[in-house]
Parts: sequence; C-alpha cells; structure tokens
Amino acid sequence: MNNLQFTSPIFIIAYKELRDSLRNRWILFMGSIFMLLSLSITFAGSAVTGELALPPLVNLMSSLSTTAVFIIPLAAILLSYDSFVGEQEAGTLLLLLSYPISRTQILMGKLLGHGVVMFITTSCAFGSTAALLLVVGNQYSVAEVLSAFMQFVISSNLLALTFVLLGYIVSLRATEKAKAVAGLLFIWFMLVLIYDLLLLTVLVSDVGFMDKQLLNILIALNPTDLYRAINLISIDAHRSGSALSMIGDIDLGLSVMYLLMLGWISGLLVISQRIFSHKPL
Amino acid sequence: MNSDTSTTSHTPVVSVEHVGLRFADVDALQDINLEVYQGQTLALLGHNGAGKSSLIKLILGLIKPTSGKLTLQGGHALQPINLGYLPEDVSFYDKLTGWEVLSYFAALKGVKVTRVKQLIAEFELEYAQHRQLKTYSKGMKQRLGVAQAILSHPDILLLDEPTVGLDPQASQFLYQKVESLKQQGCAVIICTHELSIVEKHLDRALLLAGGRRVGCGTLNELRHASGLKAQIKLPNFTDKVRGDSYLQSLTHGQALWVSTDERKAVIEYLVQQKSCTDFSVIEPSLEVIYHHFMQQQPLHPLPANIAVTDASPKGWLQSLLSPLARQSTL
Repeated sequence: MNNLQFTSPIFIIAYKELRDSLRNRWILFMGSIFMLLSLSITFAGSAVTGELALPPLVNLMSSLSTTAVFIIPLAAILLSYDSFVGEQEAGTLLLLLSYPISRTQILMGKLLGHGVVMFITTSCAFGSTAALLLVVGNQYSVAEVLSAFMQFVISSNLLALTFVLLGYIVSLRATEKAKAVAGLLFIWFMLVLIYDLLLLTVLVSDVGFMDKQLLNILIALNPTDLYRAINLISIDAHRSGSALSMIGDIDLGLSVMYLLMLGWISGLLVISQRIFSHKPL
Repeated sequence: MNSDTSTTSHTPVVSVEHVGLRFADVDALQDINLEVYQGQTLALLGHNGAGKSSLIKLILGLIKPTSGKLTLQGGHALQPINLGYLPEDVSFYDKLTGWEVLSYFAALKGVKVTRVKQLIAEFELEYAQHRQLKTYSKGMKQRLGVAQAILSHPDILLLDEPTVGLDPQASQFLYQKVESLKQQGCAVIICTHELSIVEKHLDRALLLAGGRRVGCGTLNELRHASGLKAQIKLPNFTDKVRGDSYLQSLTHGQALWVSTDERKAVIEYLVQQKSCTDFSVIEPSLEVIYHHFMQQQPLHPLPANIAVTDASPKGWLQSLLSPLARQSTL
C-alpha cells in the first residue's frame, strides 16, 4: 500500500489480505504447523515401525498427503471464514461496496491474497522439507524428490483454493462469524472425514456395483479425494501398500484430475460471485 | 443553524423524487422527496428503522429504488459523482496502522499518498499514524473514518452517526471539519440521533418515520410547520404580567408562550408598552420539534432489518445446524 504502487483494486485488496496475514502472524503460525508436520513425518515417521530411517519417497509422499488432506482444508477454512461476514460485522464491507470497485474485484482480490498466503506457507514448509531430505538422505534422486514435492505443493494449493472458496460461500451467507466457522467445520467433517471413510469402505468391501466408472465419479465429486488421487498417482502409490492407495486405482489421468480440480475451483468461484452479486444490503 | 449559503448552487447535487423502496412485503421508504444543494448540510433524522440507512444506501447506489427517481449531480458534469461515506460504528482493520488503513482506502480510490499525509496531519493523527488501530481511542478511529470519507474531495459526504460515543471535544472537532467542507462546496448528509449537536450545524433536516417523510425544511420552516410556540422569559415575570390580561392570556408557568405569527407583535408590545428589553426568546429546539413530529405518527411496525427468530425447537435446531439457512443483511 505504501511501498508498492498497485493500481488495480484486485492487487490492492490482495496485498492488504497478505499484509493482514503477516501482521496477525497467521503465515508464521500456519507455516510452522505445516513445517513441523512435514518434518515429523519425514524424519520421525518411521519410529512407529520400531526403527529410525528415512522412508522411501513413495511412502513419504503417501503419508504427507494423507496428513495434509486434513490440515490444508482446515487452514484454508481458518483463513477465509470471516472474509465477508467479518467485514460485514465490522462495517467495512458496506464501505468497500460504496467505493468505485466491483464485487467481482473484491472477491478476486481476496482470493488472490489468500492464494498467495497459502502458497507462501505450503511452499516454505514443504519446500524446506524437500531441501533437508536431499541434504540428509543420499538414497533419493534429486529429480524425483523435486518432482514429487512440486506436485505436492501445487495440488495442496489447489485443494486450499477449493476450501478458501467454500469458506467464501459460507462467509457470504452467514450472519455471524461463529456460524460461519460452525458451517465450515461441518463441511470439512463431511468432505474430509465422512465421505472419505465411506468411499474407502466401499472400495475395501468390493461391492458388486462398484465399477471403475463409479469410482471415478465418486472421487471427482470430492476435491479432497481428487487431491489424494493426484498425489497417489503421481508417485505410483500402489507400492505404498496402504488401503488409501486404492484411491490410486482411479482411471483418470493426472492432467484430467488437475482439470477436475480447476473445474472445482472455477465452479466454486462462479457460485461465490453469484452469491456476492445477489447479496442483499 | 448555519445560514451561509455562499457556496450553494441552484442545481441540487442530490435529487430524490417520489422514491419508494420495498423489501419483500415491507415498505422501507414511501414517496420520499428531497433536494440537497452544494455547500448544504442535511440532517437525516428518524427513529430506528425509519428508513434513514435505506435512503443512504440508495444515495450511495448500493440499492435501486423500487419506484421514483434519484439523481446525483457532481460539480463537474463530465466526471462521475464523487461520494464520501462513513458508515455507522465502522470498525476498521484493527491489525493495520492508521497510515496503512488510510493508504489502503486511498489506493482503492486512486488517491495519491500526499493526500494521505495531508489528512493525517489535518486530523491530528501524525503521532499515532504508525500504531495499530487496536490502540486507537473511539475519537481517533472516528477522525480516521472521516479522513477516509473525504480522501477524494467528495461532492457529497454521507456520515452515518459520526459522533456517537464521542466526547464533546471530539464531536466539535468533527463538526468543524464538516463546516470547512461545506465552505468548499461539499454537500453533507448526516444521519444522527444526537439532535442537540447537529442542530447548530444543519441547514435543512429531513424527518422520517416508518419510511415516510414527516417533515423537511430549515429549522425555522420545521418550527413553523410544527406550530410549536416559542417561550419568552422575562425578569420579574409575575410583576410584569400582573394586571395585564393580554400577557396573562399567553402565560403558561413562568413564561409567555407565543406562536410564530404572534411573536413579533408580543415583542413589540413588551418593548413599547412594558418598557421591557431584557427578555429572552427560547425557540423550540430541534429535539422538541422532532418529538412533536414523531408523536403525530402512528406506532411504527417492526423494522425490516430485525430478524424474527423462530423459537420452536425445529427452528432452533435449524439455526444451530445450518448457518446457510438465513440470508444475511448488511
């Protein structure tokens, strides 16, 4: 605002959101959580098997994505739940709308800002884990590690954007911040825990009607399962041998799954924009 | 009341003609007519839910009238109208500093940093400009809010309850700024419940009740329309009135009560017949006029923006489980 001369309202709002997250130490806090989690899984994850050794890359990425699928949506929700209801309670939303800027610009500005915040936290945390892994572990191929972690960071950010947008939708409809949090935690619980559990139950029980086509659809209908599938497929996770690796049986290619993820983001963005433009004042 | 109209023009900057606004089955505003000119201060008065905020949102262009016509005309015909707005009880971003908040809004309006510096100095916030807003007092936040509202030298300034919760000094400071903006030709619309404070600064007032216009005009016009009488207080009141049937007919308590039409004649009578020159005339205040107009109105229905809670167990459960179920209102 004072040093950088942005002229587009989208950049001005995005920069303000970034500054907010830096000022209230959200980036520091969430970045530390991600880093702690990532380093623990990487360097202490093998302790549960009774030995201390660096895990094979396949197992490591499988473990990281299994844990990140819970934490990243939660972080995105915490970042976005009060984006609109908070400004509404403070009176600044009405003020912003009286300015010569469009609602779409406000929405895009917030999304850009929150996207950058999530990118900084995830790339710093997971990037530094990758760097440490390469320094400490001799058995890893540099190209493989970089490729796996890049896929991981990109897919994590796509997942984060999905939940940031879900946060906007709830925040735009909620009347109080507390209700927005409650609604989002319910969505998180359903998408991340219950849906996943039911899907795995169906996969493991191998019921008759469960053909590949239906599996593809069920995975595509939940961004968290898409995220799992992207990470499992990108590292050939059949070798990890876990039950979750069955999600990797999906017929869709990696690029199709990325497109589906982008489809989720675009769809939620359109819904957010519609809700915002029809929001009563 | 400020009677300086040197900066006023004959073209209204805000023109509201037969404007109506309807939300679902509630009429928020009905047949409102209003004109505000450059360099004028209009006080927007009324009970909670009278339609003041709806009228402000209409002027800001945030909502469209259901009927009627609303026109805004800036000082420069070719440029879009320049509005400044301070919402009621606004709470700016607490983690940002005063400088950052003002710079943020300046950037959104395309206003240069030099103007931010100038306003910080003008509103005496230099010493606190790099402190987070959470450390600011209510008065400092309001000063920052008004500074935000006038960043772009607005043609029309809308202030919603600008002095609520402020000490008299802070209120005086804000109204001094309003006076100075008026001198520069800015039309100011102030929505307030603090009638005694705004009375000294308004040029015209619009009184709303239940979405209808119940009075509009200068203070004198409102006094005249209300039919309220002025008090004339005399020293040695009992002695002066004793034996004078004319003055006794005007007496209530320890004062003479005279209508606008009678006032000149009574004053002349006091000066010429009673040789009395040290009397005082107390006009009905804005507060008295306001209460008079409001008492003429029927009981007001529940304001549209108050949500009716479903107290049934089903409603309670629905509200607990589903924050998406209710539309929010700003």
